[in-house]
Amino acid sequence: MTTTPITEVPSQEAVLEEISSMLLRVLDQYGLDGFDDTGEIAGKITLDTTFHDELGLESIDLVTVGSMLTDRYGEQVNLAAFLADLDIDDVIGMRVGLLVDFVRTALSRPRLAGS
Amino acid sequence: MGMIQANGIRTHYQLMPAKNPATPEPPTVVFIHGLGYDSLASFYLTLAAPVSQAGINVITYDLRAHGRSDRPVSGYRVADFVEDLRALLDETDVEGPVYLVGNSFGGTIAFSFAERYPSRVRSIVAIEAEPATHEWSRKIGGTLTNVVDWMEDPEILAWLEDTYGAHHARLSKVASAVIRATTIVEEVPQGPLLDAEALRGIRCPVLSIVGSEGFQSDNLLAVQSSLPDCRTEVIDGQNHSVLVERHRTVRSLLLDWVDEIEAIPAEVEVGAA
Repeated sequence: MTTTPITEVPSQEAVLEEISSMLLRVLDQYGLDGFDDTGEIAGKITLDTTFHDELGLESIDLVTVGSMLTDRYGEQVNLAAFLADLDIDDVIGMRVGLLVDFVRTALSRPRLAGS
Repeated sequence: MGMIQANGIRTHYQLMPAKNPATPEPPTVVFIHGLGYDSLASFYLTLAAPVSQAGINVITYDLRAHGRSDRPVSGYRVADFVEDLRALLDETDVEGPVYLVGNSFGGTIAFSFAERYPSRVRSIVAIEAEPATHEWSRKIGGTLTNVVDWMEDPEILAWLEDTYGAHHARLSKVASAVIRATTIVEEVPQGPLLDAEALRGIRCPVLSIVGSEGFQSDNLLAVQSSLPDCRTEVIDGQNHSVLVERHRTVRSLLLDWVDEIEAIPAEVEVGAA
């Protein structure tokens, strides 16, 4: 599978914006229970927002976000591999900022030929 | 995200192909999650990536009524889950014998699958899991009923809300309503159950990983003693949540086990040209 090589690591703001829109798409499936509209929650997603407690997302939603990240940024951004190295408490307490940092770190890593 | 129609169920599955496999036909591991508040995420977020990076093909999927798969009103005997798995392997063109790695009820499915389709299973890794015996049926029947009652108990809901927030109390109510909307509690314990002779017919090598404080704490070697070829690994001081709390340990046990089984020369097939 070929992906567009990203030569420059996108800014923190740019990645946050992308991830926020992915989270909104996932939340959309649940009918945004508890939120008035997408606009209200869109403005509320920051680097400090917790995936689990504040957004009310479950672990299966992380699987979906992982697929979205790979579709957007390429195979280099492998969320499952990143999470496999964390403890369960870190995954449960995960903040959006950790995802943003993960994406930027993955994109800044030199890509191995054939990987 | 992959969706496939298998045994009449729209099934959510995830494939992770082997990275840099050592052989042209690398082994395939199928991860089967547990019952209730569980999904393929338990494996996808813990073992799937490191196992595929070790040169092994990985398949994981949401059982019926779990994760993003369909939730029919009925059809929840173990045999139904076995047929779902058979159909998934057929639909994804997995022909060779596979490693079935099942957590809790996922392992129960693996044992019944191996009993029904022995040629399709290379080995089973059962994590806190038991075959569908009469004893298992009695235990799971009681547990399922208690869990649903527990999930709707006003005191429990209040405690959940205080401890984890309103969101969790709501999730608990939603999950119990989902369970009550199906025949899962009544049907799962029906199996069909495996007797001693059926268990002796499960001849593939089995690794049973149990927590010393888990669901089998009363007899950690019960599974091993009922099967012809089973080894047990006990994780000390660990309750039923072996997979999520001790995923690194499970990962190394699994990878070592696959290496060990792959090193065994394949049986000469009678009648093969």
